[in-house]
Amino acid sequence: MASTRGLQTSSSSEPARRLVVLALILAGCATVADGPDYSALPRWTTHALPQARGDVRVLPDGRRQAVRYEGWTTQDFGGFRTYAYDDTRPEVPVSRATPPAGVSGDAKKGRALFLSRAKAPCTGCHLVPGADVWPAGSVGPDLSAIGDRRLPDTYLYQQIWDPRVTFPNTTMPPWGASGAFTAEEIVHLVAYLQTLKGPIPPEQDAERNPLTRRRPTGFGDNLDPTNNPAVVLAEDAEKLWNASGPNGRACANCHDGGAARAMHGVATRYPKFVAAYGRVMSIEDFLTVHGPERTGRPLLAESEDNVDLAMLIKMASNGMPVQVDVTSAEARAALARGKASFYRRIGERNHSCADCHTPERGANKFLGGRMLVDVTEGLTRHFPTWRTSQGAAWDMRRRFQWCMTPLGANMLAADAIEYAELELYLTSFDNGKPMSVPGIRH
Amino acid sequence: MSDIGKVRVRLPSSIKPGDVVRVRSLVIHPMERIERDSKGRIIDKKYLYINRVVATYLGKTVAAFDTTQSVSENPTFVFSFRATDPGTLTITFHDTHGGKYEGTADVKFV
Repeated sequence: MASTRGLQTSSSSEPARRLVVLALILAGCATVADGPDYSALPRWTTHALPQARGDVRVLPDGRRQAVRYEGWTTQDFGGFRTYAYDDTRPEVPVSRATPPAGVSGDAKKGRALFLSRAKAPCTGCHLVPGADVWPAGSVGPDLSAIGDRRLPDTYLYQQIWDPRVTFPNTTMPPWGASGAFTAEEIVHLVAYLQTLKGPIPPEQDAERNPLTRRRPTGFGDNLDPTNNPAVVLAEDAEKLWNASGPNGRACANCHDGGAARAMHGVATRYPKFVAAYGRVMSIEDFLTVHGPERTGRPLLAESEDNVDLAMLIKMASNGMPVQVDVTSAEARAALARGKASFYRRIGERNHSCADCHTPERGANKFLGGRMLVDVTEGLTRHFPTWRTSQGAAWDMRRRFQWCMTPLGANMLAADAIEYAELELYLTSFDNGKPMSVPGIRH
Repeated sequence: MSDIGKVRVRLPSSIKPGDVVRVRSLVIHPMERIERDSKGRIIDKKYLYINRVVATYLGKTVAAFDTTQSVSENPTFVFSFRATDPGTLTITFHDTHGGKYEGTADVKFV
């Protein structure tokens, strides 16, 4: 079922399109309590690289394997909810549990599990004592002396198994209910937590503690070509802009005066609803269809050509304020869906974007060694961005796909409507702030 | 890595004769790292990385570096030299496979 990525309502014929417009207008009039309207979206066929389509392949032995980028996990998370609008499965059901009889907790095993990178790791969010605990995060409470609170084992067990029983809107995943940890493993974790008693030893290294760790300061001027390799790569896209495709035409044939002039200010309005395709599109999405239509040259989402051209086009708007449409009926309907995605709980970890990226939750705190960005500051206006940790320029979509894979959710195609509307919602926070592409980040 | 060997060199925008100026340069290069086999032994091969950087100005070498694999990919090199006369600063990057990549910047006084 994970393979049906498009939406079921479809047809590009003219009467149907009029209906779509009418439905969108009605959606705009509907009260907020009705929730987003998913009924009027076109079926979309992806134009992305094979590794960026969110495909799942079935091996000869029947096992399912997710197709992702080279070096990424191939684990299939098909059992868990995704961002697909037609994925109507509920989130991981809330479940009560008590420690299994006959298992005695081993604190040593519990500590190893707490630190295991193959598991959560718990230390991504919680601080515990020990020089080997690095990097610890600060999204969740500091557990350095949790044993002093004399909480019953059964309570701690339930908190790890599924904390929603006590805190319905918690950020913490339901580790037992989702199957990430077994009942026995959770018994060990509880045994370990009960050994954590004060006084907490004085901190030897300020960097170990996420509360005293230095905040990242960035990588300097992102538009300096001797500082950001992506600037050098984007300069190349000018060649692509001027090169004729199989149709004998180039971007430059229709868009006069060089990319910097012809595209001046264009990118400040994307993502936007494009009537010709009946959907919200980023520059990258638009290139996947518009490029081949006019020049005959494929510009698949996540291909180097697509990302380089997108950078070139966005650089023509550098310094100009982002001004995406947030007022038209189409935009409001799309924003409502994008916002719903932002708060939608998905994957094995049952996380939403909001868990990590809103200031009242994880934003501006450390997840492991990484500082979580704050959605309200605007996250999109420097994308595509150079990733020093990856040695490549990534657009927003690949960043989305990267973000949700460790959450235990299968990704969608890079050019999916769901991602475009989520990106529009994020970009609405960038409105009024100057574009600066390509960025440079870890 | 079709972009290998692209070089960018940057000088401060206003320079006066006699100034010690800081030059920034960046070269697009994979700077291959040491690879190990499953037993942890270093795989013996001719790794591709920049091992020599030379900067010349007015016919003289003003800076030279011998570099190793411990330098990152797409490395930036920053150094200072004294700009006495108008001329061209040339930075040449040599790699272990015989590649030679050059970038220049004009020293002009305003």
